Amino acid sequence: MDLELSDDQFELRDNIRTVLEGACPPSVVRAIHDGDGTADELWAQMVELYWPALGVPEAAGGLGFGFVEVGLLAEELGRAAAPGPLLAVVSQYVPMLVEVGDAELLATAASGERVGALAFAEQGRWTTDAIGSSASNADGEWRVSGTKAMVLGGEYADVFAFVARADAGIGVFLVDAADAAVTVPGSIDPGIGLADVACADTPARLLIGPGPAAEAALDLVAQAAAAAMALHTVGACRRIFEVTLEYAKVREQYDRVIGSFQALKHRFADMFLAVERANAVGYYAALAIAEEDVDRSSAVSTAKAAAGECQRLIAEDGLQLHGGIGYTWENDLHFLLKRAKAGDILCGSTAFHRAQLARHLGLIEASS
Amino acid sequence: MKLQFDESVEAFRAEFLGWLDENRPPVEEMQTDPLRSSAYIPEWSRTFTQRMFDDGWLVPGWPPERGGRNAGPIETLVYMEELSRARLPRTANPQGLGIIAPSLLDYGTEEQIEQYAMPLLRAEIAACLGMSEPDAGSDLANLKTRAVLDGDNYVLNGQKVWTSGAGYADFCFLFCRTNPDAPKHKGISIILMPMDTPGVTVRPLKEIVAPEFPDLAEVFLDDVVLPASNIVGDVNNGWAMAGGSLAHERSMVWLMGVMNIESAMVELLEVAPTRLANLPIEERAVAADALVGSHIDAVAARCLGYRGFARYVKSGSAPEQALMKAYTSEARRDLVRLAAELFGPDALQAATGRYGATGSLDAYFESFGTTISAGSSEIQRNIIAERVLGLPRG
Repeated sequence: MDLELSDDQFELRDNIRTVLEGACPPSVVRAIHDGDGTADELWAQMVELYWPALGVPEAAGGLGFGFVEVGLLAEELGRAAAPGPLLAVVSQYVPMLVEVGDAELLATAASGERVGALAFAEQGRWTTDAIGSSASNADGEWRVSGTKAMVLGGEYADVFAFVARADAGIGVFLVDAADAAVTVPGSIDPGIGLADVACADTPARLLIGPGPAAEAALDLVAQAAAAAMALHTVGACRRIFEVTLEYAKVREQYDRVIGSFQALKHRFADMFLAVERANAVGYYAALAIAEEDVDRSSAVSTAKAAAGECQRLIAEDGLQLHGGIGYTWENDLHFLLKRAKAGDILCGSTAFHRAQLARHLGLIEASS
Repeated sequence: MKLQFDESVEAFRAEFLGWLDENRPPVEEMQTDPLRSSAYIPEWSRTFTQRMFDDGWLVPGWPPERGGRNAGPIETLVYMEELSRARLPRTANPQGLGIIAPSLLDYGTEEQIEQYAMPLLRAEIAACLGMSEPDAGSDLANLKTRAVLDGDNYVLNGQKVWTSGAGYADFCFLFCRTNPDAPKHKGISIILMPMDTPGVTVRPLKEIVAPEFPDLAEVFLDDVVLPASNIVGDVNNGWAMAGGSLAHERSMVWLMGVMNIESAMVELLEVAPTRLANLPIEERAVAADALVGSHIDAVAARCLGYRGFARYVKSGSAPEQALMKAYTSEARRDLVRLAAELFGPDALQAATGRYGATGSLDAYFESFGTTISAGSSEIQRNIIAERVLGLPRG
């Protein structure tokens, strides 16, 4: 058992970080939050660097990296509070296509030619039993109906992998964004393209299912999405922790830097633990996915719950210890606070994943 | 990154498990004469430790003549995993094996190694660690016990406190002040003090649990005369050696913390479903969620601990090291508390191992031993803030 990143993985992380520091400084994020910028230029650079292709198998024109590397990318995107569709593509859409095994779609995702998003959750729940959207087949043509709220990357998507229930069970369908009603409700974090996607008898192409195969595939995809979101959240948290620590070393009150007060030191020690802890569990989950380990579902829920705990402590202490300056729009802190909170809520809340763990551990039975 | 250990490591594990099968101490003997102090060595434990020494399983990373087999760090890790799973203590004298013997091997003379370190490793004798004093707990550099040179001897006067196992130990690895005029950190030496030396008085301190088996003690030194040849390493270099001694302990303590919380969780999960099944559904959900919190703690401790261990092996240092002591001891305390709460009124019965390590309030109160001793959680947080995060001393 080796839970440390390899030298190659560290190098990949450093490369991603360096690129994002140049291409996605806080000013780029600020422009999005101020409503006078787009993620287009950043996305174009990411495509040029083959980042959407990271987890796409080589046979389908991708770079063929494992899920740990996808996790590294997710973490760094969180650290930069980066805007754009990349997180949705690499952690939701591509894993879905990999389960479907559609090389052609994977190739267009890898090349950035078509941006895809996964329209799965309903009522915020990442389980197939929550699916109320319907699919029907007439004369060999599929049509889907239903609404998905707050689809990650939905604002940028050209196509959706849309989850709906047919007579024979759950299926995943490809829907052209132009055929669906996509509305951007406005979000506290405008950088991740959250959008509501409504279909009403919308023409669709069957990707997998309907039936148990689709359910099993969605289980795995939900795990990938949650693990990546956990690391994304931790990435934002680590940056909050770093800037708060830097601030505590220079901000003076009562003729001393505030970081010299023991009351704050102990909080920083706890924050550091929370970040390292969630980070270590996050990569354990990513590794469990990469190795298709039998404990992967439990590992993912542990990681998402730990990321949630981390987020609560880091975001709250990070804002609190900044004092008034952190409460202002002019300070960059809030981009990270909002990204971290979004990450905590998306892909299964802490409560959802803790309940999953209670079932895994045999402490409660699954409710029917 | 990978989840599995290499085949060679698994082969090492299998070899150790095979050895354990043959050499495991008889359960009846363990129950009749349990561990009761950090320096009391029951006969079964002495035999077990000696067999480990003879067969190279006591400290696998050391050479055979010192009770090892030149194993690598990863092998040592799986060795500790299996000892923990088997719920077997490799020594009845953890300070002796973990801190004092390695320090003597590093800094001691050949005579000291022959007379003290080797018998310690073979569990023929036990030792205690004389560090804390009434005015030197977390602030070790403030220690006041004086050692004054008089010809070929030192004469010691002073008092130690919280000395684990002093009532059973054969000798004490004692920190004393040999130069009162030097700056605090520079006048400290280490001296070996046989506990039967005239002038040594041990007063046991009953603890809040198991008062019939006091482990902690006060040690009073009243004109205790020791040969100067009992000084370990260089005179006035005790502070630097203390850093070295504790480093030995830390790399192990850190993994032991992970093992301890994992095995406590395993024990808890063995009994929890039955206990929970007796509760109404609403109460069950609340109690189950608390246990989930401990499960997350245990998984995270393993991830953080093993990752830190890999970093430590690779580069000799890891920030995780500083985090693990407070984290694992506090997480274990929380877990043991939850277990006791789950047992309801049964937990109130004074335990004599009736429910094993978890489920009794004795186990809960006992768990504070690890959050307080060997650098309290508060000191650990100061260390993290100042040495790892670079915050200024206040």
